[in-house]
Amino acid sequence: MHEFKYANAEREMEFYGYDSVIKSHCRMCHGGCGVLVFVKDGKVAKIAGDQDCPINHGTLCSKGLASAQLAYHPDRLTYPVRRVGPKLSGKWERISWDEALGTIAARILGYKEKYGAESVVFGYGTGRENEAAIYRIANLLGSPNVLTAGHFCYGPRIATSIITCGTNPIIDYENFPKCIMMWGNNVTISNPDCYKGEPFSVALDAGAKLIVIDPRLTRPAARANLWLQLRPGTDAALALGMLNVIVNEELYDKDFVNNYTYGWDDFVKRVNEYPLERVEAITWVPREKIREAARLFAVTKPAAVQWGVAIEQQINCADNDRLLMFLMGLTGNIDVPGGQVLFKAPPIVNVGRFGAHDKLPQEQAAKRLGGERFRLAGQFAIINPKAVWDAVLDEEPYPVKMLFFISSNPVLTRANAREVYRALEQVDFMAVSDFFMTPTAELADIVLPASTWLEMDYIGDFWKRHGYILPRRKVVQVGECRSDHEMLNDLAHRIGQGEYWWDSFESGLDYILEPLGITWQEFKQIDYVRGEVKYKKYKEKGFSTPTRKFELYSTVLEKMGYDPLPQHREIPESPVSTPDLYEEYPYILITGARQPGFFHTENRQIPWLRELHKDPQVEIHPETAAKEGIKEGDWVIIESPRGKVRQRAKLFAGIDPRVVAAQHAWWYPERKEPGHGWDESNINILTDNGYEGCDPAMGATNVRALLCRIKLELGN
Amino acid sequence: MGRSLNARPLLTRWRSTLTLTLNGRRMLVVQKYILRIDNEACWGCKTCEVACKQENQARDGIKLIYVTEDWPGENAGMLNFLYQVNICRHCENPPCAETCPVEAISKRDDGIVILDEASCSGCKACVEACPYHAITFDNHGAIAHKCNLCSHRVHSGLMPACADNVCPAHCIHFGAPGDIENILTEKAKNRNNSA
Repeated sequence: MHEFKYANAEREMEFYGYDSVIKSHCRMCHGGCGVLVFVKDGKVAKIAGDQDCPINHGTLCSKGLASAQLAYHPDRLTYPVRRVGPKLSGKWERISWDEALGTIAARILGYKEKYGAESVVFGYGTGRENEAAIYRIANLLGSPNVLTAGHFCYGPRIATSIITCGTNPIIDYENFPKCIMMWGNNVTISNPDCYKGEPFSVALDAGAKLIVIDPRLTRPAARANLWLQLRPGTDAALALGMLNVIVNEELYDKDFVNNYTYGWDDFVKRVNEYPLERVEAITWVPREKIREAARLFAVTKPAAVQWGVAIEQQINCADNDRLLMFLMGLTGNIDVPGGQVLFKAPPIVNVGRFGAHDKLPQEQAAKRLGGERFRLAGQFAIINPKAVWDAVLDEEPYPVKMLFFISSNPVLTRANAREVYRALEQVDFMAVSDFFMTPTAELADIVLPASTWLEMDYIGDFWKRHGYILPRRKVVQVGECRSDHEMLNDLAHRIGQGEYWWDSFESGLDYILEPLGITWQEFKQIDYVRGEVKYKKYKEKGFSTPTRKFELYSTVLEKMGYDPLPQHREIPESPVSTPDLYEEYPYILITGARQPGFFHTENRQIPWLRELHKDPQVEIHPETAAKEGIKEGDWVIIESPRGKVRQRAKLFAGIDPRVVAAQHAWWYPERKEPGHGWDESNINILTDNGYEGCDPAMGATNVRALLCRIKLELGN
Repeated sequence: MGRSLNARPLLTRWRSTLTLTLNGRRMLVVQKYILRIDNEACWGCKTCEVACKQENQARDGIKLIYVTEDWPGENAGMLNFLYQVNICRHCENPPCAETCPVEAISKRDDGIVILDEASCSGCKACVEACPYHAITFDNHGAIAHKCNLCSHRVHSGLMPACADNVCPAHCIHFGAPGDIENILTEKAKNRNNSA
């Protein structure tokens, strides 16, 4: 007789004859999930969830399960290469690590000497747990320019939460929120930084009420008690409308407001500028629905806002984040069980300290690209991408001569892709570290083979705000691949930073763990460490802001010369802001709804994941499709004033007929020419990156909502 | 601060052997177990599809479990859609087995409906017969494929790959029918409370 239990590792070992099983920490997205990796004959044979992991409780996603197909992919880059023909010739030759890093080091030192350290820009894409090491090498070099997704992804949550309440408030799913407001986000198929879908699912199955704010009918929206289908880009107005209800119906937590907030009277004046009639006109959401949602959220305790990146990739980025925090705070849900907690990390050297921001000389920090325009971003060492492209193409305000992209594919993921491509074609020298020859890597001079998570030792979730750290244990070595940390540690020695780095990166891990009083070898023996969990910490110490209060009126933004109170700004291209253009481009285009299996530009060459989505899809309401003569599965040309791309029509009743939704980050790794079809379906060909359309404080590029027209592709 | 919901990790014990009458035959049945999908909970993440691929290594285009969208129309005035997880239900009286001319499909004593790919003649009768669209046809090999409930694993005391707690929505349940009913009843009760 058998006794069944989940992920029965012992029996798996017996039955399949695996040689070993290693507990580790997946990083097919930003990281997070505990995994068991089964090994046979020195190779990864199976991946399963770790039932004891407090993050995923044994569950995984399609990406994690397909990791071995990434590690052993036949197209994987497994040694450093140097381009031997002109850009896009596709001619590469194998070189040694010594030659690769020696060349990169000589270039860095040469440009620093001739043009200043600021002429060397390091870049990464979304968070892959290499960011602290990248900032460290840049800061120690004296370059204030690290180009990340931080201007419009997670960076704003960190910056705005620090100035509002001291740190990012994380939902305490363990203590079962009774009401969840999912805002512009679908945690069930994506990874909004500190969250996984599993705890959300469990909270919902335990009876939590659900409010979903989304222009698309996601499955959570279909399952919700209330779905508010707003006009894309009007999140700030909607949040102000809800706050108006909460303020005027006195549904707020009076003790919190009276004792722990700053700027209440000014804030009340501001929300009174947003009566529901006005908000309904801006957002398309019926006022009664706004009122109902505000009431449900305010009276159900504890409640939480499940947020994500969509609200940040807009002109209202910083204010959207702040307004959602105000909803958390004013309803008394900050730092309470089942609400949103200002979790404490375990005592370790945090990403800020590891990033050596204090080592960047003041006069170099003052040169941060775009730092004078986007002052909140500048304070958090974040830059706007266009500022880099301008410095490459026009040498304004000074020349950028070298780009070093580590796990980044900006020709797909940054707005105005044609401009990005031009900058990458023109830059004097470019190095890339990645798994594959991506469309970005094809434009480089040297490409380095990066390790996947299966091939590295690291302290997982070291940068997150949920309070856990977990060991990522190296399982295998593939070719000559190196983790970004090991690569940067080696490079740092070659550019004169040896005293700040280590003989091997393991000592760097020891350095991070030092305040905890353990070494990496000791950390490896345990499952995870969690920071101290304490609620309502502000009652003793206040919030970690200049006023020690939860700042509704931001004293930091005021000092920087911004409106200290949040407001709704109309997105740069919309039926309201550009009515003439709307006649030519009669649909609102939204972009970037997540697809399970893909992580931005990644995984389109992984067979099990590409099988989930063969082609890029644009969602069109059936009425709109009929009007345009488009049928299910037709190739459709989507066009904006910047350019056009093609995606396949998916008729979808869950979207407003005035709105179409295109997927992002598509390229075709199966096409072997060096462009890999980078501009065929890449939605960022259509997006704009003008400074005036960006969030004034964070420099977030508005990529989520613009105007477009659609037509059936000829020859369908 | 532990979580008690759904008694995670779920333990399902093979109880005792039973004597049952099945299809008119009296047989000794080892505790029967079932796979139940809670479609209401499915988010469409397709983790189960890849878990199945990892275990069964079905080639590109062949899916033994797959997720589709289902639009049942409006629900209380609201537009509604669901995801539907499609997989062999291991029916009591499997029409695929009835129809197979070469007896490649059979119901095992423990309830699992097995398709023996080596015996398959490629006639596609089963594909047509299955009311759940759970049988897929491989044009290359000219044979039918379907979920065998990971019988190789189950036989060795391991959960089927898709049901081995990979699903982030906890919507795939394998075990004794009674245990699963209890879990689903509790979930439905909580959902009704939140409505």
